[in-house]
Amino acid sequence: MIQALDRQLNVIWALTLRETRTRFGQYQLGYLWAFVEPIVWILSFYLIFALVDRPSPRGMSLFGFLATGMITYELFSKTAEKVSLAINVNRALLFYPQVRPLDLTFARWLLETATHCSVFVVIMASELMVTGQSLRISDPLSLLGGLLLASALGYGVGLIFCMAQVIFPSLEKMRGPMMRPLFWTSGIFFTANSLPLEARKILMYNPVVHAVEFVRQGWFTSYQAKWASLPYLLGWVLSLLFIGTLLEREIRRRIEVT
Amino acid sequence: MIELRNVTKTYPAPRGRRAILDDITCVLGDEGSVGILGRNGAGKSTLLRILGGSELPDLGTVKRHGRVSWPIGFSGGFNGSLTGEENCRFAARIYDADVDEVIERTREFAEIGDYFFMPVRSYSSGMKVRLAFGLSMAIDFDVYLVDEITAVGDRKFQKKCRDAFREREQRSSMIIVSHQMKTI
Repeated sequence: MIQALDRQLNVIWALTLRETRTRFGQYQLGYLWAFVEPIVWILSFYLIFALVDRPSPRGMSLFGFLATGMITYELFSKTAEKVSLAINVNRALLFYPQVRPLDLTFARWLLETATHCSVFVVIMASELMVTGQSLRISDPLSLLGGLLLASALGYGVGLIFCMAQVIFPSLEKMRGPMMRPLFWTSGIFFTANSLPLEARKILMYNPVVHAVEFVRQGWFTSYQAKWASLPYLLGWVLSLLFIGTLLEREIRRRIEVT
Repeated sequence: MIELRNVTKTYPAPRGRRAILDDITCVLGDEGSVGILGRNGAGKSTLLRILGGSELPDLGTVKRHGRVSWPIGFSGGFNGSLTGEENCRFAARIYDADVDEVIERTREFAEIGDYFFMPVRSYSSGMKVRLAFGLSMAIDFDVYLVDEITAVGDRKFQKKCRDAFREREQRSSMIIVSHQMKTI
């Protein structure tokens, strides 16, 4: 049992190293590109907010407000995207008997989570350095929990798409358009506390908002995530994982290896 | 050694499902080598994939003892954007073998020169087969699953493969499938 677990971890680790190489290896500057995309997003919206003179919520710097939202969202959506392609891209690896479909998704999950957490650390640290503030994380547990749950949500969504695509290949084309509305409704550009009651009622159905709220409560001393609910978020994560692993059992006999 | 217990595998066919393996119980590769003959489409490669574990049977269990190879003979499992060396490193890692030793032995056996350090997508099909075969010889398996390796590379390389196989036969067992009596 322990030996089997050890072997499987060995496979997942080898896959992760390999994913790192194929994801960043073919470009010059390699890993740096992981930072470029979120920075470009954050800075463009920073510019737009500054131009239309929209203030950031009380107690948050505009940059910090956008960065916490954007990186948490990217962690969710990039994990979902990369995991959903795990089988399609790496089908050739299933040729090795000990590589199972779930291992492919685990490796990508690990890589995306590690990458975006480093992005979070680097970008938030550079804001502190530029503005000359000292580091004070008000609620580390909430911050860490928010990030991990955002990543777990992304994994759940990605897993379901990944497995369902084996049966319905055209789903791959639908994922992008289906995820697009989430960019605007996941709390990158608003906080739950600042929403009017009616809008909040609807937007809080989106679990990503809850994760973003937890991250902001963790990072900003003066922000309280009054409306975020841990049971609601966990409920989403567990249901997604349940459906995803159920689908895996269904498709594991159907995958055709080259 | 591979143990099959009540293994059944079927495929969808125009009329109903066609059984490739029908309630098979046996032990393969515990001593010496096994040759399996069959016509094209009889299900030989499927059998190898089931023995190796990359495909699951519909019913029954397959138990593997010791290190069983992947089906050797064609060059599946390589990622085109990685170099030959990186692909070997990956295989060595998942089989828990000594990474440097596997790389060195593969490089020596494949004889593809500096292409070993180039992305696999730039290889000719012959070079891919050389790399695949070299890699399978570089990792010590207890059971080798071999799929039709009749025409691999030039004559000199073919001889090298045959010699390597002979030498392996002393320590490991082979399960070879083919549609040619001669190969077996």
